[in-house]
Amino acid sequence: MAPLVPSQDEQQRRRIIDINAETVTNIPSTDFPGHWPGESHAWAVDQFKNTFQVDFHRNDPLEASFSLIGLDAAVANAFRRILMAEIPTLAIESVFVHNNTSVIQDEVLAQRLGLVPLKGSVEGLNWMHWFRKPGEDEDGSNASEPSDFNTVILRLDVECTKNPEADENEQDPRKLYNNAHVYAKDMTFHAVGRQESYFVDEGAIRPVHPEILLAKMRPGQKIDVEMHCNKGIGADHAKFSPVATATYRLLPDIKILRPIIGDDAKKFAKCFPKGVIGLEPVTAQEAGRGGSGYEGHAGEQKAVVQDPFKDTVSRECLRYDEFQGKVKLGRVRDHFIFNVESTGQFDSDVLFLEAVKVMKLKCARWKRGLNDLMA
Amino acid sequence: MSREAYQVPSMGAQNAFGTDAGFGGAMAVDNPSVVYLCGECSARVPLKRGDQIRCKDCGHRVLYKERTKRMVQFEAR
Repeated sequence: MAPLVPSQDEQQRRRIIDINAETVTNIPSTDFPGHWPGESHAWAVDQFKNTFQVDFHRNDPLEASFSLIGLDAAVANAFRRILMAEIPTLAIESVFVHNNTSVIQDEVLAQRLGLVPLKGSVEGLNWMHWFRKPGEDEDGSNASEPSDFNTVILRLDVECTKNPEADENEQDPRKLYNNAHVYAKDMTFHAVGRQESYFVDEGAIRPVHPEILLAKMRPGQKIDVEMHCNKGIGADHAKFSPVATATYRLLPDIKILRPIIGDDAKKFAKCFPKGVIGLEPVTAQEAGRGGSGYEGHAGEQKAVVQDPFKDTVSRECLRYDEFQGKVKLGRVRDHFIFNVESTGQFDSDVLFLEAVKVMKLKCARWKRGLNDLMA
Repeated sequence: MSREAYQVPSMGAQNAFGTDAGFGGAMAVDNPSVVYLCGECSARVPLKRGDQIRCKDCGHRVLYKERTKRMVQFEAR
């Protein structure tokens, strides 16, 4: 027997998560074998290829926004989690303090330095390997030696002095003294070995934001530290996370079930962010049709859904009696609007591709494990 | 050997108490001056063994040791 195919209406109903005044219903996806009697829902790669879509809304180096349409929440969520926690990046890991007479304590300064986002030649960053640290109860025999392919050296050597050219009535410590504020741009990169060919000129390792304030000093105070940067992942420490935020939301869905006309339409539009609901005049044709709800309202303004993408799903419109039963809010279950904000080490669109790469590697590992199980 | 390993202070090293009798003769051979920081004016005050503990600029009697020259390692976490 050929599998049953649900009607178009039913398929559409299953795609929408209902957002009611106080509840959210129809949440879990049901497109898997065995849920609907007689229907197949077997996953097929060809069908997925045909229905899956990617739309870019915005693609800047530091922020990308795009829609993934036609995949399951589990997969979308896996990409989001990989983006945050499993893409390797370079960050300061060890700080060697030679001298620090500033008021900020060594360990606090070290922690601050670790959180500074770095950037450099992407080719060089991909060339770099992990640095394996000795474990708690190991003798260090399988720990890495710091080398050109796993450690980047930065130095910060600043001393605060009086500025002899400052005006005598000057109150601003930045003009009164030299190096009163220590910024991320004061860190200097020292290439070692093959790093000299990878991290040159524009590709040199440097902070993404040069104006990050690291410490404040007064004349006579000094900071002299050497920093070793290693590769790591966000699961280990947040400083290794390549994204500032990586989020997704489902595309909002607004259905106007019965006409909203005149002043009500204006009030309805105000319940939503600008641009979500538009006003259009009722046409003579609509007004002429019996039972449409538009009879005798030709030329008046009616509310139409213009762009549900901009909606925040505040449910404000569900609070008013006049819209009761006239509107249905929802979200499209398989339309994920991703927003990826990079910290600057990689471009934001590249990050998503990296996440896909990591996912593939994880799947390959899982498959290998299954094969070993069968052997 | 790691840079942080403990080093036994040599005999010629400075002693915190200037009036330590008995070793005086042996110490006089090399009598290095140690720099301290004045608690009042932050001036650098080099002191030798037996010197009066007093800032040469402002006469303040509280002096502090300088920070160790030893490197200290921290994890940036």
